[in-house]
Amino acid sequence: MKIMIVEDEALLALELEAEVEAAGHDVVGQAMSRDEAIGIIDKEQPEFAFVDVHLVDGPSGIDVGRHLAERGIPYVFVTGNLKRIPEDFVGAVGAIEKPYTMNGLQNALDYIGRRLRGDYGVRPPPSLVMAPARHSN
Amino acid sequence: MTDSSARRDAEDAGRRLLAEHASEDPFAAAFKATRMPMIITDPRQHDNPIIFSNGAFSDLTGYPPEELTGRNCRFLQGPNTDPESVAKIRSAIDEQRDISVNILNYRKDGSTFWNALYISPVRDRNNEVIYFFASQLDVTDVKSKEVQLASAKQEAEAAVAQRTQDLVDALEAKTTLVHEVDHRVKNNLLTIASIVKLQARMSTDDTVRHTLRSVLNRVEALSTVQRKLFTSHDVGRFDVADFARELVVDIVSALKRDDIVITMDLSPVFVPAVKASPLALIVNELVGDPVRRGLSDGGGEIHLSVKQPNGHFVIEVRDTTEPVPVNSEEDDFGRLMLETCLRQVNAKLERTIEGRQTIVRVTLMVDN
Repeated sequence: MKIMIVEDEALLALELEAEVEAAGHDVVGQAMSRDEAIGIIDKEQPEFAFVDVHLVDGPSGIDVGRHLAERGIPYVFVTGNLKRIPEDFVGAVGAIEKPYTMNGLQNALDYIGRRLRGDYGVRPPPSLVMAPARHSN
Repeated sequence: MTDSSARRDAEDAGRRLLAEHASEDPFAAAFKATRMPMIITDPRQHDNPIIFSNGAFSDLTGYPPEELTGRNCRFLQGPNTDPESVAKIRSAIDEQRDISVNILNYRKDGSTFWNALYISPVRDRNNEVIYFFASQLDVTDVKSKEVQLASAKQEAEAAVAQRTQDLVDALEAKTTLVHEVDHRVKNNLLTIASIVKLQARMSTDDTVRHTLRSVLNRVEALSTVQRKLFTSHDVGRFDVADFARELVVDIVSALKRDDIVITMDLSPVFVPAVKASPLALIVNELVGDPVRRGLSDGGGEIHLSVKQPNGHFVIEVRDTTEPVPVNSEEDDFGRLMLETCLRQVNAKLERTIEGRQTIVRVTLMVDN
């Protein structure tokens, strides 16, 4: 799966990339700001994204999330402050709260991988806070 | 009509009034001698002039009687007199009825006094208004106390409002600071973990990798405390049961074995924030130990219980595993971590081994 990482801390991004690749995915881009992220989305068309809320240009991760949601690309927020995320999660699958553990991240990755393959029978791990159920119109 | 002729008319009217009352008339005597400032005006003359005033009125206003007779009372008004009070007096006179009003008046020397004015029409047999009678009372003292009181109240209210705003600002600054510090602590903990993981990933030496993973495991236990402490509504308290549940599920899930059975018996046990880290490390060792002793190699059962029966706080981990040889160095380190943290929170540990089953029970008293 083609994955984008949006994170303004280079070390955290690097380590997250290693975990994502270890789980058998390709990282198609790393962004530290809103514009960088949108550039990658439009050019690389990732199939999934990890999005930090607070980037170098402010709490613009929310905008990135909105951009992904508009294109139907699933993603999760990765943040130290869940309260920063709007109540409807702007279309995100859920959120991984920082500081996550290695096990917590791997379990979340595993769950996301299964779900994107259409396996809805699996239960989300404690490390992944799920978005509120969406009402269908 | 000239001013002087008007005054003459007023004086005449005053004299006529006096003529009706012999000097021994007690009412006239009382009017003249009373300490209450009083005047009489004649509405049948042009502009309702004063036709008589007493000594107390001159004492109050500073005007001698000859400067009073023939003038309308409005000369007592000044720039700070409330026009609304003046209008009330005027309409009472026009409508020929009583009025009582507090009005700011001016003395001859320009000084002011608060006048509790009372005006009442005097009627003859035919019910015609022939005079107006007015009494004055200097209420400056009362009025100034009222003003003082009002301004003191206003000052107090302003001070309270200022104080409240200061507190709101201080709280906001403090909240911002706490969030900022929390953000940094979380990021730093995650960065520390990332550094350890990166080095473990780059190393080809199994022992180095193993050691770094062991360090990472303890750092992550502390990271989780920081995450859970701040997520809860009550930042000062930490739920050990909630932490234990997440830890055991995360560790066992990451092993990706379907031959491990987890059972749990948990009820919320809150401890003060200062005890959160040592308790998290204790739970971490209690769960990590059976994983190292056999769960990760051959599966098995793990039962976790966190409870608080009658004041005692009990954490119990019961496992059934096929034992595998352990790395003695790692085992010693785990034991040292556990014993040190137990001493930190003054808890005691019992270990029971029955065949393949190991039961470890940690007991400590929780402060109310």
